Amino acid sequence: MAEGKTIIVKIKRQAGPKEPVRWEEFEIPWRPNMNVIACLIEIAQNPVTRDGRKTTPVSYEANCLEEVCGACAMVINGRSRQACSALVDHLEQPIRLEPMSKFPIVRDLAVDRSVMFENAKRLRCWVPIDGTYAIGPGPRISPERQQVAYALSRCIFCGNCLEVCPKVNESSDFVGAALLNQVRLFNMHPTGAMHAHERLQAVRGVGGVQDCDNAQNCVKACPKSIPLTESNNDVNRQALLDAIFGWMFR
Amino acid sequence: MSSKAAATAEIPAEATTVPASQPATSYFWDKVHSLSGIIPIGAFLLEHFWSNSYALVSVERYNQASYDLQTIPWRVPVEAIFIWIPLLFHGFYGIYIWSKGKVNVGRYGYGANWMYVLQRWTGLVAFLFIGWHVYMERFLTQGRSTYFDVAMTLSNPLYVAFYVIGILAVSFHFGNGLWQFSNKWGLTVGRDAQRKAAWIAGGIGLLFAVVGLLIVFSFVFQWHPFQFYTQ
Amino acid sequence: MNPTRVILIGGGLAGLMATIRVAELGHKVDLFSVVPVRRSHSVCAQGGINAAKNLKGEGDSTWKHFDDTVYGGDFLQNQPQVKGMCEAAPGIVDLLDRMGVTFNRTAEGLLDFRRFGGTLYHRTAFAGATTGQQLLYALDEQVRRFESEGKVRKLESWMFVSAVLDEGGVCRGVCAVNLRSGEVRAFPADAVIVATGGIGAIFRQSTNSVACTGSAQSALLQQGVHYANAEMIQVHPTAIPGEDKCRLISESVRGEGGRVWVPKTPGDKRDPRTIPEAERFYFLEEWYPKYGNLVPRDVATRAIHKVVHEQGLGVDGKPMVYLDVTHLPRQMLDVKLGGVLEIYEKFVGLDPRDHPMKVFPAQHYTMGGLWVDNERQATNVPGIFAAGECEYQYHGANRLGANSLLSCLYGGMVAGPAAVNYAQNLETSAEAVSSEVFERERKRQEEIYDKLRSQEGSENPITIWKEMGETMTRHVTVTRYNKDLVAADAKLAELQERYQHINLADTARWGNQSLHFTRELGNMLVLARLITQSAALRNESRGAHYKPEFPERDDENWLRTTRASYENGEFKFQLDPVDTSLIPPRKRSYKS
Repeated sequence: MAEGKTIIVKIKRQAGPKEPVRWEEFEIPWRPNMNVIACLIEIAQNPVTRDGRKTTPVSYEANCLEEVCGACAMVINGRSRQACSALVDHLEQPIRLEPMSKFPIVRDLAVDRSVMFENAKRLRCWVPIDGTYAIGPGPRISPERQQVAYALSRCIFCGNCLEVCPKVNESSDFVGAALLNQVRLFNMHPTGAMHAHERLQAVRGVGGVQDCDNAQNCVKACPKSIPLTESNNDVNRQALLDAIFGWMFR
Repeated sequence: MSSKAAATAEIPAEATTVPASQPATSYFWDKVHSLSGIIPIGAFLLEHFWSNSYALVSVERYNQASYDLQTIPWRVPVEAIFIWIPLLFHGFYGIYIWSKGKVNVGRYGYGANWMYVLQRWTGLVAFLFIGWHVYMERFLTQGRSTYFDVAMTLSNPLYVAFYVIGILAVSFHFGNGLWQFSNKWGLTVGRDAQRKAAWIAGGIGLLFAVVGLLIVFSFVFQWHPFQFYTQ
Repeated sequence: MNPTRVILIGGGLAGLMATIRVAELGHKVDLFSVVPVRRSHSVCAQGGINAAKNLKGEGDSTWKHFDDTVYGGDFLQNQPQVKGMCEAAPGIVDLLDRMGVTFNRTAEGLLDFRRFGGTLYHRTAFAGATTGQQLLYALDEQVRRFESEGKVRKLESWMFVSAVLDEGGVCRGVCAVNLRSGEVRAFPADAVIVATGGIGAIFRQSTNSVACTGSAQSALLQQGVHYANAEMIQVHPTAIPGEDKCRLISESVRGEGGRVWVPKTPGDKRDPRTIPEAERFYFLEEWYPKYGNLVPRDVATRAIHKVVHEQGLGVDGKPMVYLDVTHLPRQMLDVKLGGVLEIYEKFVGLDPRDHPMKVFPAQHYTMGGLWVDNERQATNVPGIFAAGECEYQYHGANRLGANSLLSCLYGGMVAGPAAVNYAQNLETSAEAVSSEVFERERKRQEEIYDKLRSQEGSENPITIWKEMGETMTRHVTVTRYNKDLVAADAKLAELQERYQHINLADTARWGNQSLHFTRELGNMLVLARLITQSAALRNESRGAHYKPEFPERDDENWLRTTRASYENGEFKFQLDPVDTSLIPPRKRSYKS
């Protein structure tokens, strides 16, 4: 069935950070259950454009292909999302692929999102433990609290929430919803909470929680359905109380 | 905190330490900005709509209310501290914040994203309108504005249109600003709480819009629905 | 104390755990990873991690865990180290708990445990159905903390290409290529720990991530590191067949009560929900009444193959069976299995809470891997250690579900201090080694890259990769026949020959993914041949290795580790005895 059915893919390409941008169009055979990654593999096997010109395979990031590693985020038909879960049959054609625009480009669809990990360092996003030696179990946590924390801890650092945020761009230092959510997560943990002050001070730094202006695109773009706006507001509350009372009573 | 450098393949020669971020002054000013929209600007807005509502009673009551306000002790410093400085700060800092954002409703046309954009444009319109309004009614009249002065202005249909737009912009900006405030100060966290706050803030904005427009109608049509109070 | 420098290859669970242990001891770590470590394949582990904490009053013990593991692995493991792992498990879970892993909880606020394959006890701690992700994140965050303290240097998007060996055959560092710039560089280190995970890409469509190519293991094999039990490949019974990969549907789905069935009528076209109970064939429950749906993976996979290929009962006449959770309460499903059901929903488009899932076996794990000694995770080459899926020692002929996260963490915990200990006792540190040693290896690697770039011919790397994967999946997974294995090896040899004629469409240096992939592909082919030849060698059936021509386990001849070395393009095999000093081998059957 559907013999000879094809897919048209248009890709925004750039050989390197300083190279010129160009668009290339590919036509590839359709098969059932294809996703955008399958299209890119197909192009790598036969790197010829629709008008018959030889070109290079497309660079992109991908790893788990089941939307849990966060690698393959790109802008597909104008919307930032994971390429693995973008099923061809659900996409309007021609499928337009662009790299995320809020991160430095590496090549083609691959971008450098290391800024997110750097900010995780500056915001102290971890539970400090004394060491890996055997010192017994962790603190008890109610199932309700675990459920809230688990939802927050599923963040895959894909960067979609940053890509769609009007406040994240080249003229702003905003860390973005993903990182604010991390602050909330670690402040929730009984051990993490012991160091909440340090995190809350950091999150009032340049590009901190104050830069969120509630356009709330983040929560719509999050592939893991993390309640990001709730995290933003919660961190706002914590940071403010810490700013006022941390100073008054410390 | 972000790095705007191009992607490179460079690595540090050795492991390097990274200190935690320290609080920035922008946090303080951002909070002042957000608060100034409620107190004193929002509070003044409430007072202003209240005293102008005397127009709905009668010309005399309006002029009386105006005169009472125009003759408060320490008038100029009070105006400066509670109205002019906050307004100027809120306006200019708002424009600065705006300049740090990059609108993308074209791609992501969600409701809240539109509100984000409208908040900026209504802020600008409100700022311009208020500037003109203050110039007309405070400075041109040397601080002695009366019912007659306002009615004169509003005899011009263009000015009426400007007033209507200005009042709608102010009301929207204030209503949505209240919602923003509840988010930015963490007064609401959960999704339901956010939604409820949106209804309340929207209701307040709408109330301001309706009352504001009624006051304009009062001047344009010499309409004093509460005049019977004085009889 | 002299701070030494340890290089970690791979930033999955094992690599991160080893990193933490080395940094904690005050030594310098360079952590290499082809992807940002938070995106490592460990995130894909769903079900949980085994630890006999006995919090459910079932009388579980670490010995029973040990026994289940050895029995599940069909007695091919050297037992003392497995015992060590099972004994360490409760402590490891406590450690993870302290790191803030969001494990599911009981009403009392304690860790919750669920059942998994190959055991009768509730022994598996879990965080929803994304346990691997949660564990990896916890470790990633600990490493980030060390990084911010200047104790760890991360080299993400650097790919390991070879070890640097001095004249005495001692490892003095590694060569790595920068995946962005294409630069090849040598990095000195006193010890190297390899934690490069799985080899799924050799089978093309597996449950593994893109980065799981086995290239590093193969490169080391070619440099003289031994490789053991290569033939032991786990095929997971329940995955969603896919165009780009097979997506795992965790064993925990069955652990929480999911049932596997097919319609009793071949080619039954009805909506599965309308098929009455009496007309459903719950073949696992019928054939294995004691363990039911929770038989070990090799057993379940063979049962599915039997029901589909021999009895012709596959769903819609296709190689698929139903995995059904529609009878379970939705709220429980959301809390305990949300993450995995979401995958089915997103990639198939049906809600598994309402529709039975259609699944089929797919390559999932390699029990075999780099040979390491029992106590130190050390390979036969001085200075090279290995931990995690890339080494062979914990799972024998078949791995039990939820033991992989454990073996990664335990292996990392052992390897870290062992590497430090080795490094501290070195007579000459890597820094004292002549720079020529490094430069020679760097040049050798550079030349391999130059050759790839300038090679002429008409072959395409993706085509060769796909053909390799097809060959391996067809002949070297569930059911193995010697003549097919010989044919497969010949096919692989042909592909190796064609590999010499790959013409790369892209010869740039910057960001050239197909260049690096092709480099890895050459290594994959070598490892594929080893797997095939090892499988041909072992004339018995044990665990995941099943030969219909030799259907029984043969302890007399094959209670042996197949240990391979590589010399001049050929593999040499030696058969090592297996240490079964703690639990004498007994017949393995899950029927009663």
